[in-house]
Amino acid sequence: MTPSLPLTSLVLIGVGSPAILLVLLGVASLVNRPLPERWTGSLAAASMTMACAAFLVALAVYGTATSGTQLLSYGAWSASHAGGTAIEFLVDQLSLGFAALSTAIAGVVSAFSNRYLHRESGYNRYFVLLAMFVTGMLLVALAGNVAVLFIGWEFVGLSSALLVAFFHERPAAVSNAFRVLSVYRISDAAMLSAAVLLRHVAGTDSLSLLFGRVAPSGTGLTPTNATIIAVLLIVAVACKSALLPFSSWLPRAMEGPTPSSAVYYGSLSIHAGCFLLLRAAPLLEVTPMARLLAGGLGALTAVFAGIATRVQSDVKSSLAYASLTQVGIIVVEIAVGWYTVAFVHLVGHACFRLLQFLSAPNVLHDLHGIRDAIGNHPSTGDGHIQRVASERVRQRLFLIALERGFLDNILDRLVVAPFIRFARLLTHLDDWLCGAVLAVREPTVPEGAAHDE
Amino acid sequence: MSDRLSLVGLAALPIAVIVASFLRIDVERLRRLAVAGAIASLVAAPVVALSPDLREFSIRTSALSYVPGGEAIIRINALSAALLPFAAGLWLLTVAVTPRAALDRRGVRRTALATLITLASFLTESAVVLLALSVASVWTFLSALSDPAHRYQRRVVAVYLGVSTVLFALGVALLVSPGAEGTAIEVAGMWLIVFAALVRKGIVPFHAWVPEVFDHGRMGPAILFNAPQVGAYITVVLIVPRASAEMLRVIAILALITAVYGAALALVQTSARRACGYLFMSQSALVMAGLDCTSVIALTGGLLVWLSAGLAFAGLARCVLMLEARRGRLNLTTYHGGYERMPLLAVSFLCMGLACTGFPGTLGFIGQELLVGGAIDAFPIMGFAVVVASALTGLAVLRMYFSLFCGRSDELAHPNLRLGLTPREAWTFVALVMTLVGLGIAPRALVDSRFAASDDILRQRQERMLKNSSERLVVRVWERRAAPVTTNAGSSN
Repeated sequence: MTPSLPLTSLVLIGVGSPAILLVLLGVASLVNRPLPERWTGSLAAASMTMACAAFLVALAVYGTATSGTQLLSYGAWSASHAGGTAIEFLVDQLSLGFAALSTAIAGVVSAFSNRYLHRESGYNRYFVLLAMFVTGMLLVALAGNVAVLFIGWEFVGLSSALLVAFFHERPAAVSNAFRVLSVYRISDAAMLSAAVLLRHVAGTDSLSLLFGRVAPSGTGLTPTNATIIAVLLIVAVACKSALLPFSSWLPRAMEGPTPSSAVYYGSLSIHAGCFLLLRAAPLLEVTPMARLLAGGLGALTAVFAGIATRVQSDVKSSLAYASLTQVGIIVVEIAVGWYTVAFVHLVGHACFRLLQFLSAPNVLHDLHGIRDAIGNHPSTGDGHIQRVASERVRQRLFLIALERGFLDNILDRLVVAPFIRFARLLTHLDDWLCGAVLAVREPTVPEGAAHDE
Repeated sequence: MSDRLSLVGLAALPIAVIVASFLRIDVERLRRLAVAGAIASLVAAPVVALSPDLREFSIRTSALSYVPGGEAIIRINALSAALLPFAAGLWLLTVAVTPRAALDRRGVRRTALATLITLASFLTESAVVLLALSVASVWTFLSALSDPAHRYQRRVVAVYLGVSTVLFALGVALLVSPGAEGTAIEVAGMWLIVFAALVRKGIVPFHAWVPEVFDHGRMGPAILFNAPQVGAYITVVLIVPRASAEMLRVIAILALITAVYGAALALVQTSARRACGYLFMSQSALVMAGLDCTSVIALTGGLLVWLSAGLAFAGLARCVLMLEARRGRLNLTTYHGGYERMPLLAVSFLCMGLACTGFPGTLGFIGQELLVGGAIDAFPIMGFAVVVASALTGLAVLRMYFSLFCGRSDELAHPNLRLGLTPREAWTFVALVMTLVGLGIAPRALVDSRFAASDDILRQRQERMLKNSSERLVVRVWERRAAPVTTNAGSSN
């Protein structure tokens, strides 16, 4: 079916608005001439409003004019030869709905941040990263080929890590940002590996193969290849959505400013993985092993996060784990094939959690007022776990929840430490090779040799 | 005519700076002259590269080789079209942002000489001329390490690059010897040149000199010697058209191992300089891997990564040197802070680091995308290796960024002390970042020109293969015709 011109234009306006904002603010930031706050805020609001309106109209046009998935092609981007990257968007109710949701939420957060970060030194940087994030989310939502999906995925990942390190004079924020980035790089690698395999076995990087309603079985993918691609996608999703065993980065990501935590870990970024699974539903339907894996990870994550959220000592971490509980449940819903329920759940949860994150500082303020008034913490009463579990079990669960499942320790011991040891060994080997050539140990250059060009 | 003048000017500008360095001119004025010369060469290089008249221009001679028809000692083709502005850009970057104290009269002369050698290398396809230029560039690099503080590094470089040059010389001697074409002598010569290129590019296991010279040697000359990647040029001009598929496969596998190895080791280094050395190894190996694919798309990707990695890496390493000029040697085990005092340097560092990793929106992304896409059919493992190398490089770059610019407020320097960039440095970095991002957003013209270059290279290869196979066929027919006679003669005897 030939895509209608209004739909093509509307989608281009929707994606283009935040992309132009990114270029404008990015160039101003690069030359160290940031725009005044009033301009930045107005431009961001106008951009998000325009994008949201474009997607809502596109959704209406799509609903009235067509049915089924449409591939909108905007031609070759990188080269006029075969092998270059093309700009293609895969449009249906799911992708347009998620794009509209993303821009609406980003618009709300943008308006909130405009006041929340007033006169903050990183104001302009924040809006550059927010524009990058929204552009990335829209590309993930609408991607018609692997290259476009990967561009969006990378934009979301980098902007997320840099916003965790927004208060860059704090060492904890920076080291946590690096942790977050490390997990995101695993996600990127898994996603790209799936793309490489898809290209190798199917000879294409079009996502209509995986995301369209064309069954993958009719496209040359063997069951084994389809399962491997699905598992790689699930790994990418698990890293991005903080599913087990990659959940440990989530509380670390709370170092960023509250509006960014809201938009990333409350509403949009954390759901990007669920959305990708929803898009890949046709692939999951022909790969029962992958479905089982996704369902298992989702269920385990929901239980773990449900327990962990109860012992968090700060409101943002508690809300982040509460989000993760719902994300786990959404993944289970996708795994069992309740796609509509999962999408409705996703939209509702994203909006609700956004509200919770943004109002959290005020709620805390009110709570402190109540505590001051009554002279004590308001009573919360006994929870479900107190009623059903014995003291010993509760103690163990408390320890696991408090230590966040020991996931950081496990990851450090099993992956990070051996990797560093091995890499340092190789570095020493290189040193030794040079020493063997020199036949003597070289003297080290004195500290502060600034002009030793 | 004006195009030819541009070509002459392109060569004359570095020569003028070299000559001026021997005159009694104040060093700062000499440096300004070098910056002006570099800007002029950056303007002249695209004119030369894009000129339709000069595209057919070549000077051929049979004096340097027994190859029938001789070799072009100077020629401008699709390959050199983008390499000339690239070399001029590297020169400008060097003279514009190197701290004043680190670029004395001899330094200015050396950078001009290195640029002249690089430009000349990119303009020739003669093996003998390339050998002579290679010897000259190694000599220039060694002369930069002549002070006693770097005698150990000088020895390391002399051993590694000396071996590389000797192998290259032997290989060229075999390659251009009479009747070598299509015979075992040519194959032996090719292997020697392959090993020479591997050593020069720091491919595992011949790599140990690269991190050493970056860490304890002089990083500025190391950047200028390595960033243009003349080793990659030797590969494209001498190896790819002649090598067998197996030979190219061996090089590609070693290059992929190096790409992952360099990225992994860059991630755990405690010295910023050493991390730069390993990053360079990884980037340069990716170029090598792309060049050794016989797919036009992968080769195009390799040529693009060559440009993007060369510019981005040179910029990144220059940022590290500028930071060192302000703070002394940098280690990566602690946070240095200072983003708010040097925002432009921090943003430039991040952008150039991201361009190295192939982040979307930079030229590196386009190159890596084509590299992976083109190599998958011929060599699927390359796709996965590039993915792993890219992921590790990204982590290494962000780790460096966080350590060098974030993590604490910059309390060490006095608040009145100006740590930011001078206007010349700032505009150079902004221009470089704009180039990398601009070509990443609108890459089509450059990519199409690299496709044309790849087509040329692979056509040369096919023609040579065809010629060799037809010659072999003729020989076989001759042998078959001759064989019965010999047998009959033998039997009759």
